[in-house]
Amino acid sequence: MRITRGEALLNYGVLTLFSLMAVVPLIGVVLTSLTPSGQAGGGLRVPDRLAFENFSEAWDIGRFGSYLLSSVIVTVSVVVLTTVLATFAAFAFARMRFPLSNTIFYLMLVGLMLPAEAFVIPLYYNLRSVGLTDSYWALILPQTAQSLAFAVFWLRNQFRQFPDGIVEAARIDGAGDIRVLWRIIVPPSRPAIITMCLLISMWTWNEFLIPLIMVTRESLRTAPLGLAFFQGQHATDFALLSAAGIIVAAPIVLLYVVAQRHFISGMIGGSVKG
Amino acid sequence: MRRSTLTGAATLAALVLTLTACAPGGGSATSSEAGSATASSAALSTDVAAAGDITLTVWDQNTDPGINDAQEALNTAFQEKYPNVKIERVSRSFADLKTTLGLALDAPDAPDVVQANQGYPDMGTFVEAGLLRPIGDYATLYGWDTAFPAQQLSLNSFSADGKTWQGDNLYGVSQTGEVVGVYYNKAKLAELGITKPVTIEDFGAALQTASAAGTLPLEFGNTEKSPGIHLFGIVQAATLGATGVNELVSGKSGAWTDAGTVEAADLLTQWTTAGYLPTGSSGISRDAARDNFAGGGSLFYVDGTWRLSQLGEAMGDNVGFLALAPAGSTDPVTTGGVGLAWAITGKTTKTDAAAAYIDFITNPAAAAVLLENGNLPAVVPADYTPAAGSLESDVISTWNTVNETNGLVPYLDYATPTFYDTITAAVQELVAGQYTPQQFADTLQADAAKFAESR
Amino acid sequence: MVASAALVDGAAAVAPGGSVASAPTRGTRRRDWKGYLYVLPAFVVFAVFLGMPLLQTVWYSFWNWNGFGTATWAGLDNYTEIVSDPSILRSFGHSGVLIVFYSFVPVAVALMLTAILSRSPRLRGLGLFRTLLFLPQVIASVVVATSWIAIYSPDGLINQGLRAVGLEGVTRAWLGDFDTALPAIGLVGTWLGIGLCLVLFLSGVATIDGELFEAVRLDGAGLWREFFAITLPAIRGHIVIALTLTIVAALKTFDLVYVTTRGGPGSATTVPAFEAYNRAFNTREVGSASAIAVTLTVVILLITLAVSRLQPKEDPR
Repeated sequence: MRITRGEALLNYGVLTLFSLMAVVPLIGVVLTSLTPSGQAGGGLRVPDRLAFENFSEAWDIGRFGSYLLSSVIVTVSVVVLTTVLATFAAFAFARMRFPLSNTIFYLMLVGLMLPAEAFVIPLYYNLRSVGLTDSYWALILPQTAQSLAFAVFWLRNQFRQFPDGIVEAARIDGAGDIRVLWRIIVPPSRPAIITMCLLISMWTWNEFLIPLIMVTRESLRTAPLGLAFFQGQHATDFALLSAAGIIVAAPIVLLYVVAQRHFISGMIGGSVKG
Repeated sequence: MRRSTLTGAATLAALVLTLTACAPGGGSATSSEAGSATASSAALSTDVAAAGDITLTVWDQNTDPGINDAQEALNTAFQEKYPNVKIERVSRSFADLKTTLGLALDAPDAPDVVQANQGYPDMGTFVEAGLLRPIGDYATLYGWDTAFPAQQLSLNSFSADGKTWQGDNLYGVSQTGEVVGVYYNKAKLAELGITKPVTIEDFGAALQTASAAGTLPLEFGNTEKSPGIHLFGIVQAATLGATGVNELVSGKSGAWTDAGTVEAADLLTQWTTAGYLPTGSSGISRDAARDNFAGGGSLFYVDGTWRLSQLGEAMGDNVGFLALAPAGSTDPVTTGGVGLAWAITGKTTKTDAAAAYIDFITNPAAAAVLLENGNLPAVVPADYTPAAGSLESDVISTWNTVNETNGLVPYLDYATPTFYDTITAAVQELVAGQYTPQQFADTLQADAAKFAESR
Repeated sequence: MVASAALVDGAAAVAPGGSVASAPTRGTRRRDWKGYLYVLPAFVVFAVFLGMPLLQTVWYSFWNWNGFGTATWAGLDNYTEIVSDPSILRSFGHSGVLIVFYSFVPVAVALMLTAILSRSPRLRGLGLFRTLLFLPQVIASVVVATSWIAIYSPDGLINQGLRAVGLEGVTRAWLGDFDTALPAIGLVGTWLGIGLCLVLFLSGVATIDGELFEAVRLDGAGLWREFFAITLPAIRGHIVIALTLTIVAALKTFDLVYVTTRGGPGSATTVPAFEAYNRAFNTREVGSASAIAVTLTVVILLITLAVSRLQPKEDPR
């Protein structure tokens, strides 16, 4: 697996270029977050003094102590619930034959394509009529429903690729469906499942409209809602908004850095066997 | 296989039928009746202590720093005065409040006091659905009807059916005042040898002088679109006059294609072609524009008095504020009005406490708290004297003048439910030279005509 | 652990070229009524929290309703409005432009990067590059959008760059210009999408057996042949997923437009989701908002259906 020095250089060049493009706007966010509040009008410039106090101020104004906790609860619940439900469903779609299975699968896939505007208002009235608004359920269940579409799609793809021979062998050894699923099929699918969990965490974490509409109580509101406090009717505090954005993004960036080792680890060659 | 397909289809059909059996909003008709029923119940009282231990849920949009501090101080003071009342504050940014307030007002656990935006899409719709309580009775009880200028009260009034703005029923009172006007850089003005403009003509001449001297005359950032209403609004106020704009916006008389409006559009076109405004203003954020003005980047900057504390801090005494008068006059006529109205909801049963709260946060003592935190109260206490030569004194004197001379014209987006989108987009087209003044006027008139027809 | 690792090898060995589909054993896929039991919980959550509200939205779209009180029957009026109102039609057109920037460009760029990364897994600092490339995805778009406003502003990074190379004449306020505002927003979408596509593709590459690369390389294959012979076939399914996700994202775009231009200048950057949101919550035309949302959903469905035809053939069941 060796490549020539010239090719390596070229690769570095291309990667560096694209990484730079990815990072420059983010550096803008970091610079703005360190500009003394009130001096940042949204322009990109190096601050004359590093205003670290923006972060503690943003933390208070954005109520992140409470909002982040709520975000963690909601995101973890959505990810766990989605993964469990989707694993069972995807297993059936991928490896069992039953009438209407394709119809049901494609119906659920619609969830992936629905813009939130297409369901959020009736959903609000439905949940309110059964007293579920202003509760964690109002955040967790709709977002689980949204995530399921992708999860089922993704895992079905994954599970279908699984060689029949191995499953057959396990069955001959007397393994039931559940055992085949959790012991034979799921473990090697781990990189795919982790990738999926990461994407779902990210989407759930950054969701804005559903939490905005479904809950009012402070203790239930999620972190992205805190960002709104920096955009008033007549002015935006760019410095504090950027600091707040970094606070909101930090947990998910951390998650990504930790998780990527797992889903990339089996990337190529012998490393799979390690 | 076939049987299960049939069963599946039947189940699906049944599901669809049960879902769609009734018109949307079937449930809320009863609730709005309940809302209007409470309006005329029980005798009014100013006695809050008699209410016993209660929680008052209050929705506001006071998230900008200065006003947020004031609100918190006022809430604390209210709870100290009435220990039996607990204020549950739900504070949302302006945009978030707009999105969620309608749903909340209609909910079984609706808040007690809310800040409602004037105009048809919000206050008008809420009134029509019985979600706000008319407060004429409390206005008499607390003397709001005399404490606030009539002009201010009419901005917060609607007809009982919510169809006519500035109608007979009062639905709220406002805490803050707002004037849109011209901020100017004093040092630059002196340097260019220009005297402080009084009329729109003086202003045009000043723009020309500055431009000739190589100074950017008028900073303008309009990415957020709302600044467009402000800029066009103050020019139109001066070309059409207070009565003309008032009648036009409230739909009483006139057309957007009349001379005064077209003249304003024409002036803006002349200014942009002459380069008095930055090109690509639709790609500059309002905050970047403010920053550039504060940093000495331009002679003038059009914005509202809500920028008082920010610009005062950034520029000290080098910044002044003025409102323009029509040609040949000295009385300024300009866009402005009052902050969002504090209203009592249709569903609350705690109307006495709600009214007491609204009085507490809008009375002269509250005005002092607002001033302390760099805000312009709706009624500035007569004994308040700002430091001479300060931006605050310019702002307060302008506010007092336009209130005394009836020189205030409403925000143009109050005209119809869709007017905000129409006019903000049209101003962007106009300053980019995509619309001629006549096309601009035609676009506005089309929207107004459509609404007039639907009423 | 060792056993499962062996399974991955097994899976990977058959994965490229979609040869799994023609795997001989069909026996495990018998008719299995238990399937319903496995699918039921997920389906119920979907049906109650998405399916039902969607049908209700369809129902709302036939009414004129301000969100309170009584609604009046509108029939197809809200839909005829969509096809007769040029501003709504334009907003759908804008979405078409955004698809190119949100979807096609990022997929192409990510494929190129995948070709590089899959070939040289032992490049030093690879993990860092991957992390950096994915970062745009994880930061709330409200925040990054404010940074892009600055980059596109008259004195922003792009114009500074253009001036530095003597292209003064090209400089402009990119988001304020009727011709460039939409592509400018599109490029932010490109920037956001590359990382997502890359992660999807790399997780596909992860299932390829490294020995396959060794084998073609012994044959003297270069970067491009290696890519077309092994990597591309192996990640075809992932490409379809990436296209689907990014196209859906392009069509659903709302917050980026809301923060950067509010649909302006004029109405040069309005998009359907923005129109739907605006009508539902600002001008309170719930029926009209619903009709736009339903139409948008149908458009998304049709486009993704077309894209799904690129999916490797599934075995008939």
